[in-house]
Amino acid sequence: MTELANHRGETTPSPTEVQTPRPAFAPVLKERVGFSVSRVWIIAGNTLTEAVRQKVFNFFLIIGLIFIASASFFAQFTFGEQLKFIKDTCLGVISVISTLIAIVGTAQLLPSEVENRTIYTILAKPVRRIEFLLGKFLGSLSLLTISIAAMCLLFGAVLFIKEQGMIRELRQEFTQGMPASDMADLNQQIRQVPQETFDVNLVKAVLAELMKATLVAAITLLISTFSTSLVFNVAVPFMIFVAGMLRGAAAEVWADRRILMALLAVVPDFGFFSLADEINMGNVVPWSHVGQILVYGVARTVVIVFAAHLIFSRREI
Amino acid sequence: MLTKALVIILLFATGLGFLPMENSIRAERTRLKYQGARVTYELREALGQNLAIALLAGLRGVVADFLWLQGHTFWEKREWLRQYRDIEIVVTLQPQSVLFWDLGQWHMAWNIGYGARSDPNNRTQAEGIKREREWHRKARDFLQRGIENIPNRYDLYFMMGMLYYEKFSRDCDEPPCRDAFCKAAEYFARAASFTNAPQFVARMYPRALEQCGETEAAYAQWRLLWFQDHNKVQQAWNIIEREIRQLEDKLKIPDNQRVFPKNKPPS
Repeated sequence: MTELANHRGETTPSPTEVQTPRPAFAPVLKERVGFSVSRVWIIAGNTLTEAVRQKVFNFFLIIGLIFIASASFFAQFTFGEQLKFIKDTCLGVISVISTLIAIVGTAQLLPSEVENRTIYTILAKPVRRIEFLLGKFLGSLSLLTISIAAMCLLFGAVLFIKEQGMIRELRQEFTQGMPASDMADLNQQIRQVPQETFDVNLVKAVLAELMKATLVAAITLLISTFSTSLVFNVAVPFMIFVAGMLRGAAAEVWADRRILMALLAVVPDFGFFSLADEINMGNVVPWSHVGQILVYGVARTVVIVFAAHLIFSRREI
Repeated sequence: MLTKALVIILLFATGLGFLPMENSIRAERTRLKYQGARVTYELREALGQNLAIALLAGLRGVVADFLWLQGHTFWEKREWLRQYRDIEIVVTLQPQSVLFWDLGQWHMAWNIGYGARSDPNNRTQAEGIKREREWHRKARDFLQRGIENIPNRYDLYFMMGMLYYEKFSRDCDEPPCRDAFCKAAEYFARAASFTNAPQFVARMYPRALEQCGETEAAYAQWRLLWFQDHNKVQQAWNIIEREIRQLEDKLKIPDNQRVFPKNKPPS
């Protein structure tokens, strides 16, 4: 029968071959799957869905929206003052809320998966750890983008209402017997109102805030790859954020202490992303400067996510 | 453990790698005159703990606005010195804000100045006038600092012109106080030289020149304004026409040299 089988071209293992054990890594190599962007997106989508359902996210978002809506109550002041107050308040709220959502929303992503044991089910499937990590990070990023977009929409609405109110007030002056000589000045004022209200540069401030929140989310993700305590995952990124905000001041005070500054370099300088004040004061904020900041933010984020991957890929789960 | 050590080394090494980029961004921010004064111990003391924390969290604009609102409350309570202190802190926090310099000097010269003059605690009327003039000088010095910080906008030059035109012109003891109007004219000219200055700024320059005693220069300036392209430039042409007619009469300009000849038949 063996001869027949050989004749048919079938291979029969020799006794020595049967006895040789297969290397332990061989099946792993065979079953290892390639990197899949679609799997990353699926995990990101699920992360986003889960995050949106969280009460803490909704709480922060509602608080942010309430603050932004209430910014329109500065009615006693000149138009210039009112606009400045509204823009400062709204961009300040966007900054604070997006940072909080970045920290709180990302801090529980990995620990909750471990605690609920869903991570075992996911990683038992042909999903690479880097895909899982990137999916979680992108989910968090989507959450931030949606939150900031929602706050920006309301911010735009508040500005629009204020603008329309101001134009209405100015037009009323026409009807109250204004001398013809002042009409030209008034017309010019009315034309200036929309220009002053909807400053295109505000987009730059929002982009910088999104970049800042992304970087904070990346740091939180890095911390959560080796810590399972939610409090630790929230507190440490927050402290790193505060340290990052103080780096600019530290650079001025300790400019000559090179070793200290070199040690501090591990913390990103979050002060770079605060462009809102400059834009609201009418300072020139060139796109080249915004680009420089965004490149800095993206580069820092990539390094931190890579570091998170290094830890997470070797973590025993 | 090895992985964690590797990650720490990676983060420090890349952090050092980012230093040149960070220095470049910082240099660019300094060039663009971003951020206000450094947060010193004195500033922290002046702000109080909560506002100092908000300031360090990057909410410089919100802190400045809050102090401005607080200053407004002091103004309503006629607590001038407290309001003045808040105004000074606000411009320290945001020295690039035209609004704060502009309204700060307005509060000092117009509101606080008037309040000080009409203060019932003044022993004599002269004391009130003296106090008002002190506030005018404070407003001028304040605005001068504003101009040094923001020399590339028309607003503060115009406000300085208005300060001289409206306030210092009444502060001298021997009217008509031409020096104040001449100073005002200088500042209006600077303000009008900015292309984005509103149309009324250009009209204030010849007005101040006339008050300064430079009637012919004022007339020449009104003519310059009039001979701009009426279709392209937005102006209150009726005001300019009125001023030119008035000055042509005052200067007794011969009919053939007038912009608006007297015996010209109505068109």
